[in-house]
Amino acid sequence: MVLLGKIALGMFGTVAAAAGLICSEGFIEVNVVTKQPNEQHHIVVIAPAMLVPIAAHFIPPDKLDHGARELKQYMPTVRAALEGLDEADDVTLVDVTEPGEHVLVKKEGGSVTVNVVDKDETVYVSTPIRAIESTVEQIANASDHAKNTDSVDFQ
Amino acid sequence: MRKPASILAVLILTGATAASSVSTFGAGNTERYLHVRVQDSKDGGESVAVNVPLSIAEKVLPTVNKGKLQGGMVHIDNAEMNDIDFKALIEAIRTAPDNEFVSVKQKDEDVRVAKSNGNIIIHVIQKDKDAEKVDVTVPMKVVDALFANAKNNEVDVAAALHALSDAGDSLLVTVESATEHVKIWVDSNGNPAQ
Repeated sequence: MVLLGKIALGMFGTVAAAAGLICSEGFIEVNVVTKQPNEQHHIVVIAPAMLVPIAAHFIPPDKLDHGARELKQYMPTVRAALEGLDEADDVTLVDVTEPGEHVLVKKEGGSVTVNVVDKDETVYVSTPIRAIESTVEQIANASDHAKNTDSVDFQ
Repeated sequence: MRKPASILAVLILTGATAASSVSTFGAGNTERYLHVRVQDSKDGGESVAVNVPLSIAEKVLPTVNKGKLQGGMVHIDNAEMNDIDFKALIEAIRTAPDNEFVSVKQKDEDVRVAKSNGNIIIHVIQKDKDAEKVDVTVPMKVVDALFANAKNNEVDVAAALHALSDAGDSLLVTVESATEHVKIWVDSNGNPAQ
């Protein structure tokens, strides 16, 4: 009985640790409301942000090679911008209003949020800055992976 | 004996939390923003607001190495300098008393360049059908920073940004025409009203 208890505790601990790790970079939230004349759709997706860089890891390096090479040269700038954004106070970065459409890009907490409202739909996306950073690093590093793959000499 | 120790621990924790809150609040107050507003008053025109924390701009600018912008410095071709010694010119303006340096009045355009209260001020009024009015006010400290540590054919934009973030709230540029209003300014308000 004690052994079973220890196994259960171990399993629970492992699951809790895994859940904690997966959620450590926060959550990506996508919220879409479409306003059709006859019906209204409401889609909400909330996913652990850590899944995005993990998913990026599985994209074949050759598919990312060109983009990754382009991105790599701008990485010092991207890193500085994301680091600065992470440390900055909450701020409305961009606010565009035109008849029938309103776009807001904000830094809120540790996330960048984009909110687009037009007459047909409302889209809200919130992405943790750390997840953006990890994903961009992952994509930029894809060029190194592709280079390494290229250099493998199959005999 | 354990109770006073617990009370002391709680007091220390509360003090530490309060101190960190105060320092966070203080840090929030020191952030400065470059604001850009463009309002198109035409029918169906749009309104754009961009607010950039100067701390981000200061971090990003030195990392950009593209074209004439290298490490926060903008290189100016000698041909574009027209043999003007900008450092000497700026020094002359800096040491001069408040004054109107240039005043040009033409049929379709008036231009005025002056120094006033530690600022360089440029006014341009176009009198053609667009009837555009441009006002540029740059703190002298920012102009100084542009040239202080730069070579003769360079301007130090990174240093100017730093000087701008140290300067007080300032309205830098306004452009007003019949249909468009542009305003660029610096202050400590991260979310100004549209």
